[in-house]
Amino acid sequence: MRILVVEDDDVAAEYVRKGLMEAGHVVDLAGDGELGLEMAKAADYDALVLDRMLPKRDGLSLLKELRSDGDTTPVLILSALGEVDQKVEGLRAGGDDYLSKPYSFTELLARVEAMGRRSDPTAAVTKLKAGDLEMDLLARTVKREGQNILLQPREFRLLECLMRHAGKVVTRTMLLEKVWDYHFDPQTNVIDVHISRLRAKIDKEFDTPMLHTVRGAGYRLQV
Amino acid sequence: MFASLKRLFKNTIFRLSMIAAALFAVSSLIVLGYIYFATVVSDLNRVDKTMELEIDELTKIYETLGPVVLNQIIFDRALPKGASNVGNNTFYVFEYYDEEGNVNGGGNLPAKRFFTDPEKIPFWRKIPGLKSEKTREFEYAVTTISGDNKQTRRARGRLKEFLPSGAKLFIARDVENIMAASEKVTRALLISVAMAIILGLVSGIYMSSRFARRIAAFNKLATDVRAGDLKQRVPRDESGDELDVLAEHLNAMLDHIDTLMVAMRYAGDSIAHDLRSPLTRLHTRLATAGSEVKNKVARKALYEASNDAGELLRTFEGVLRIARLEAGERREMLVPLDPSVVLEDIAELYEPSCEDAGLDFALEIEGKHTIRADRGLVSQAISNLVENAIKYTPSGGAITVRLRKIRSGRSEISITDTGPGIPPNERDRVKERFVRLEESRTEPGSGLGLALVDAVADLHQAKFELSDGPGGEESQMPGLRAALIFPRYKRTK
Repeated sequence: MRILVVEDDDVAAEYVRKGLMEAGHVVDLAGDGELGLEMAKAADYDALVLDRMLPKRDGLSLLKELRSDGDTTPVLILSALGEVDQKVEGLRAGGDDYLSKPYSFTELLARVEAMGRRSDPTAAVTKLKAGDLEMDLLARTVKREGQNILLQPREFRLLECLMRHAGKVVTRTMLLEKVWDYHFDPQTNVIDVHISRLRAKIDKEFDTPMLHTVRGAGYRLQV
Repeated sequence: MFASLKRLFKNTIFRLSMIAAALFAVSSLIVLGYIYFATVVSDLNRVDKTMELEIDELTKIYETLGPVVLNQIIFDRALPKGASNVGNNTFYVFEYYDEEGNVNGGGNLPAKRFFTDPEKIPFWRKIPGLKSEKTREFEYAVTTISGDNKQTRRARGRLKEFLPSGAKLFIARDVENIMAASEKVTRALLISVAMAIILGLVSGIYMSSRFARRIAAFNKLATDVRAGDLKQRVPRDESGDELDVLAEHLNAMLDHIDTLMVAMRYAGDSIAHDLRSPLTRLHTRLATAGSEVKNKVARKALYEASNDAGELLRTFEGVLRIARLEAGERREMLVPLDPSVVLEDIAELYEPSCEDAGLDFALEIEGKHTIRADRGLVSQAISNLVENAIKYTPSGGAITVRLRKIRSGRSEISITDTGPGIPPNERDRVKERFVRLEESRTEPGSGLGLALVDAVADLHQAKFELSDGPGGEESQMPGLRAALIFPRYKRTK
C-alpha cells in the first residue's frame, strides 16, 4: 500500500515510516497540515495516517477539507486526545479509525492494514474462507476441513473478525472494539481467555494450529 | 392541587404578602374595636347613666312620697308620646303590693308575646356592656305606621327592687338605633378586612408566581451548570431590580468560570499533548532500540523500560479521563439504557476468566430496568469492579453480579465477591486516585480503578457504595459488595 503519514513529531514519524516500510508499504511523510493536505490531494494514497494536532493546519480541518473534495481515502487519526467523544468527533469528521497515543506500532500497523482492505470495493460477502476454515455468515456455520464446528455467538464474531484479517495481526484492543464494542482496555487477560476457548474449538482436533498468539501484539489467523 | 398549594406556601413572596395581609387584617380589627368602643359602648354607657339617674330620682319619690304617688308618676311617664318616636321609646314598669297584699301597678312594656327570650337572642344581636343582676336586655317587635312589616328592636333596661316591701321598678330604653349604627360601621369594616385579605391573597399569588418564575430561572441555571453545561445564562429583564442585578452578577461570574475552564482545559490538553508526545517517543525509542539490540539482557531491559513508559502513559490517560468525567462534560450524552444488556455483555466477557480462575460466576437480573447512562462508561465501571473481584478473590470463591430494584424504584447494580474485602475505615479512601491498600501493593494496577468507578457514578448521579460481602464482618474473608445505585429514570429531563 502507498501510505501518507502526516505527523509533526520527527521521531514518531520516522518510527512509523520505518515500521510501515518494513511491513512492505510505500510511505511518504508530511510534517505539517498544509503540506499534508497538498500531498494528499496531489497523489493517490491507499491510506492516510493523520496526527490530530499539527502545525499550520490541524488534522480534523485537513480531513474535512479532503472529504469535501470527495476524497474517500481511508484515514487513521492519531491523537493524544483519547477520550471517547473525541474519537467520535474524529470519526464524524470523516476518519475511518482512531488510535490514541500511546499506541504500539503493531496496533497501528494492524489498523492501517485492516483499513486498507476495508476500502477494497468488494461486494458484501456472505462467505469467508481462510485456509481450510470456512464461515457462512448467513447460516452462521463454521467448518474446518468440511467438519462442522459449533461456536457461541461471541466466538463466532471473534473468529469472523480474525478471518476478515486472516494472515494479519489483530490486536486485543481491536478485538475489544470490533467484537464487544468496548473502547477501554481491561487490566486483565480477558481476551486471551476467549481466544483460548476459540482455539480449543478450531485447532484442537486438527494437525496444524491456525490461531497464533503474536507476543506483545495480538493474534493472527495463519492461512 | 394540594401539592401546588404546599409549594405556594413555601414561596417567600407569597408568605410575605400573606403576612402583610394578616397584619392589615389585625390592624383593621384594632381600629374596628376602637370605633366600637368609642361609639357604641360610650353611647350605651350614656343610656345606662340616664337610666341610673332616673331610677335614683324615682327612688327618692318612692322613699318620700310612697308607691302610690310613684305609680301615678310612672303612669304619666309611660304614656305614649306619639307614634313617631319609635326609636326613642322608654319603657316603665312599676309593681308594688297594696295594703291587701295584692299586686298593683303597671307600665308600658310591650305584651309578653313580643319578647324574645334573652337566651334565644343570637350573639351578634346581643348588646355589649356589663352584665349585672340589675340590667336586662330584651327584644321587642313594633309595627311601623307606614306599613305592617314588623320590626324587631332591641332595648336595654334596669331593675330596681325596693326592700323590704318587694316593690319593683323597671326602666328600659330602646337602643336599636345605636346598635344599628354600630353594626353598619362594623359590617363595612369587616367587609374591607375580607377584601384586604382576598386582595392580599390574589396579589400574593400573582407576585409570588412572578417571583417564582424568576427564581426558577436561577435554579434551572444552577442545575444546568452543575450538570456540566457552562454555556447557560439567566435571562435578564433589564429592570435593574435586585434579581436583575443578581442575574447580571451570576452571568458575569459564569462567564469568568467558563473562561477559566476553557483555559484550564486548554492547559490540560496541552500538557496531555506535550507530556504524552515525549513519553510516546520514549516508549517508541525504547521499543525500537530493543528490537535492534542483540544482547538478551539489554533487550529485556529495554522492552521492560518501554513497557514502563507505556504504563506511565496509561496512568496519565486514566487521570485525565477521570478529570474529564468529574468536569461533567459528558452528562448530556447520557441516554436511556437497559442495564441488564450491559451486564449480560460484561458477564459474557468475564465468565470464562472467572471459570479459569476457579470462581463461580452468577448473573442475577430481577425486574425490568431503565437508567440514564453512557453504555461505554457504565461498562467500564462494571468491568473495573468485576476485574477487581477476580483479582482479589481466591480460587474456589464466587462472584455475583446482580441487578435489582431498591427503594423508590432505583436500580442497583452490585458486584459481590468472597475475597478479603476492604476494611470499613478504608472504604472512602480507596475511591480516591492512586490510593492502594497495603495488601494490594504487590498486585499490578495503578490505583485508579475505583476512582474511575466513583467518577462514573458521579457523572450518572449514582451512588457508589462499598460494604461487606456474604462472609460477614468477623470472618477472615468477609468479601466485598460494590454497588452502583442509579437514580430513578425520568422520561422528561
